[in-house]
Amino acid sequence: MAFYEQHIHPKPKTFLSKYIFSYDHKVIGKQFLWYGIFFLFVGGLMALMIRWTLAYPGQPFPVIGKFLFPETGGAVPPDTYAMLFTMHGTIMIFYAITPILIGAFGNFCIPLMLGARDMAFPLLNMLSFNVAVISGALLLGSLFTPLGAAAGGWTSYPTLSTLIGSPGVGQTLWTLAIFVLGVSSTMGAVNYITTIITLRAPGMGYFDMPLTIWGLGLTAVLNAIFLPVLGAGCLLLIFDRVFGTTFFLAGAAATTGTGDPVLFQHVFWIFGHPEVYILILPAWGIVSDLLSFFARKPAFGAKATALAMTSITILSTLVYGHHMFTTQMSPLLTQTFMTLTMTISIPSAIFFTNWLGTIWKGSIRFHSPMLFSLGVVFVFGLGGLTGLYLGTVTTDLYLHDTYFVVGHFHYTMAASVLLGGFAATYFWMPKMFGTLMNEFWAKVHFWITMMGLNGVFFAMMLVGYGGMHRRIFNPFIYEFTQKLIPLNTFATWSAIVMGFAQIIFVINFVHAVFFKKEKASDNPWEVGTLEWTIPSPAPHYNFKEIPVVKCGPHELGNPNLSGSKDFQYQTEELA
Amino acid sequence: MAVAVVNDKSIERDVQRNAQRERATSSIAMVMTLVSFSMLFATLMLGYIAYRFTSEVWPPLGMQRASLGLPTISTVIILMSSLSYFLCEGGFSKGDHKSFKTYFWITLLLGIGFMVSQLFLWRDLKLSGIYVDTTVFASIIYAFTWVHAAHVIGGIVALLLLFPTLLGKREKLKSELWIKNVGQFWHFLGIVWVIIYFGIFVF
Amino acid sequence: MKNKVFTEPVIKNTESLGFFESFAPPEDISANGHLIDYLFNYTTSLNLFFFVLVCIGLFGFSYLYHQSRHPKPYYTYGNKKPHILIATIIGIAVFVGIDMNITRMSNNDFTGVFINWPDESKEDVVRVQVLGQQWAWNFRQPGADGIFNTQDDIVTLNDLRVPANKKVVFQILSKDVIHSLYFPNARRKTDAIPGRITRMWVEFTKPGTYDIACAEMCGTYHYRMAAKLTVYEEEEFNHYLAEAAQIHRAVNDPEDADIYWGWKWTSTSSAKKIGMNK
Repeated sequence: MAFYEQHIHPKPKTFLSKYIFSYDHKVIGKQFLWYGIFFLFVGGLMALMIRWTLAYPGQPFPVIGKFLFPETGGAVPPDTYAMLFTMHGTIMIFYAITPILIGAFGNFCIPLMLGARDMAFPLLNMLSFNVAVISGALLLGSLFTPLGAAAGGWTSYPTLSTLIGSPGVGQTLWTLAIFVLGVSSTMGAVNYITTIITLRAPGMGYFDMPLTIWGLGLTAVLNAIFLPVLGAGCLLLIFDRVFGTTFFLAGAAATTGTGDPVLFQHVFWIFGHPEVYILILPAWGIVSDLLSFFARKPAFGAKATALAMTSITILSTLVYGHHMFTTQMSPLLTQTFMTLTMTISIPSAIFFTNWLGTIWKGSIRFHSPMLFSLGVVFVFGLGGLTGLYLGTVTTDLYLHDTYFVVGHFHYTMAASVLLGGFAATYFWMPKMFGTLMNEFWAKVHFWITMMGLNGVFFAMMLVGYGGMHRRIFNPFIYEFTQKLIPLNTFATWSAIVMGFAQIIFVINFVHAVFFKKEKASDNPWEVGTLEWTIPSPAPHYNFKEIPVVKCGPHELGNPNLSGSKDFQYQTEELA
Repeated sequence: MAVAVVNDKSIERDVQRNAQRERATSSIAMVMTLVSFSMLFATLMLGYIAYRFTSEVWPPLGMQRASLGLPTISTVIILMSSLSYFLCEGGFSKGDHKSFKTYFWITLLLGIGFMVSQLFLWRDLKLSGIYVDTTVFASIIYAFTWVHAAHVIGGIVALLLLFPTLLGKREKLKSELWIKNVGQFWHFLGIVWVIIYFGIFVF
Repeated sequence: MKNKVFTEPVIKNTESLGFFESFAPPEDISANGHLIDYLFNYTTSLNLFFFVLVCIGLFGFSYLYHQSRHPKPYYTYGNKKPHILIATIIGIAVFVGIDMNITRMSNNDFTGVFINWPDESKEDVVRVQVLGQQWAWNFRQPGADGIFNTQDDIVTLNDLRVPANKKVVFQILSKDVIHSLYFPNARRKTDAIPGRITRMWVEFTKPGTYDIACAEMCGTYHYRMAAKLTVYEEEEFNHYLAEAAQIHRAVNDPEDADIYWGWKWTSTSSAKKIGMNK
């Protein structure tokens, strides 16, 4: 095991060095968590406005509509609607999910679960967060530009995203913000990979790492390789917008140029498909671990799960073309991408077998993190299976760019990742902040969220099957969408229910972080990974002595164990 | 993990092992960083290849090829700077501080010289009627050289970060890692330029 | 607060529909739309089978192995032979049972029907050039001379009229940004891309008036980029064609370059890049 002497750094004293410009991976993790929660709120509010408009186009948005859109008496106008769904997508993917799952839990968990005192490069880690803040500021700033924020969809296909389709400075700022965020995430990714390779505690082989680390590590690999691809696309788009190059402008009646707008789609999806797995892999890892922890038995086929994750990582780079079936690639490419897309279901099926195998004959404790993890299995099952319709080219000809796609990717990217993020938050709360969140309200939060999100996302798939296409302000001007009005209304009210359920979470969270007196014990969930061998909340140097690992991360329910303890710490010899 | 007996030899061994591991850490990180940078340039090249092979005539619409003179000079400069960095590294590892210093300054000057040659190149392109917004052919030349030049500026800043070593204010192991990593980045930029030179200007 | 700057029509459907009808896809009016519907339903039934299995596992195990019912967990890593065998079998079952199955079907439909372009030299097809722009669809039919971009072309805005039971071949192009020509009733869509012609062929079977929409985000009024599709019986269509040709010959001003946005019809090019302004 490669490791080197890790010094115990002196504790930071001033407020600035302790909370703002901190090198400590735990503080940076918390910073990312707050950052992500803030953007989750912004993006969620946007989602509610979008849903409201889809159910009641032209009617004022309740309560805050009058302040936001005074010119229209509180209703969302069509141009603002386009900005709303663009920013909703961008914020949720790049500024909410990525910081929470990868930024917060990646930073927090990797050193703790590996038995290290900090990341390999603490300074790089801090810079990564600072750059992310700059990017967030750019994005929020674009909301207040004269012509408004970017409005070309989160995919920002040219030529709509060039000066022809969106002349305002908002789109330029958007592109720049994504580029800057890419730099931040790449910095983080290099750090994660190096840390995982070099700072594992002595005795910890790759298969002794918790599956969370596997998920985060593979995510980092994808990030390091594919974010620069998006970065290059963004750069070319910025050049097109600012310096007048013609990469994405093709000769057509209203445009001149010898470029090719479809090239951006290729570049975007070469990045964009791995991005889906970038978002979901950490959640898969966390869920695989939590299912084992709360079923009180070792993770079923942990090695197979890790290898399945790896093979998905590799496959994810080869299938991007299924996003572009309607652009008429050559038939051979279409068939190749269709077939490759389908192979992804082999590792996915292995996942599901292993997840169900883990809870099979377990002794399940239904604490809130477990509920959320089981929720992930359910919604990811739905999301994964509905992907099949979009992978086969003929059904995709009908379903492409309809709400079916929207429902599908919300199930896989939003629902699964959100539930995985909640599971992680409830689970690591004691190690992060030293307190446990209220179990009862956590469960209430879970059930209402589950109802809300299934209501909204399943209804989305149904209206998509009914033919309603995406990104339309008022769907009801078409004859064929008339009958979908009740379903849209249902989806909207489900979204509102889901939105309100998050208030429970926020209150529970804020209360636990700032006001709760009762401290959590060092190991409230009774699990054996390294972060639970140290006090709660984790001290600033993490481990007084670098631990020596002697067994795997999921040693629970071993019948050879005597006494009341049914689990083993990773630092203990296998019984 | 056996408990180490504390004597001079074991301390010495620990220090060496530690150094080895720090080297490993730094080189893993550097490899990942370079992979990221390569993907950026690879995507640009991919775009270029796509344009190149889908257009029937190249350069399109009766455009002139850019003259090869200045790009060739740039290539020579950047290759020489890479070479001089090799010598600079050699000087450091042999403990020859003087040759290290000399070649460091030569590398830095050649780096700046490369940037100057790029400025001339852009001026020359403009004079010969290749404007950034004429066709995708011109766009590619400009965009690639811009992106590369931006990285060269980054490389020059990285060279400046070697100043503490130059002034002898950095410990040996750290200096060694810094010199190695900056060097890898510097050579990487040289390779990228050679690819751009042959891919866009010559081919 | 009634001083809205815009009003949006919301026509409430008064008919009460059954649950499944309330989200059923629009009526299929094409000869091959049923292939897509069939594949969808086929996939759904297989998906349901596997999803029910997952749910049985999920809810069944959650009930059976609740802490209170099953206090002693079964200690296993899941790396015994039967375990690996079961996981492999399930993986292969999903892959072969669903994936390869639907891939094969989809591939057959795709190559056999959807990109099996009608041979224009032998078959009598209706040819339409489509030009998308922000935010309208332009349609062009060649008129009596059979050549595009001449004075007798029938050029319409947001109004496409085609005969039933005849193959209609579209060549699609965009003027500004990317659009997507979407026939919900025929289950088909194809992107309209500036600088690159894409193609689609559909055989409509049922006379009537239907919606055409734009499925690719193309700007603020993307949602209003709607057109009407009118499918005529063959005789009726010929009647319309004759009438329209006359009107359009009078309307098409030979001096007005804007009207002649059409291009040379080449029956072999599939999604080929074209040099415009030639």
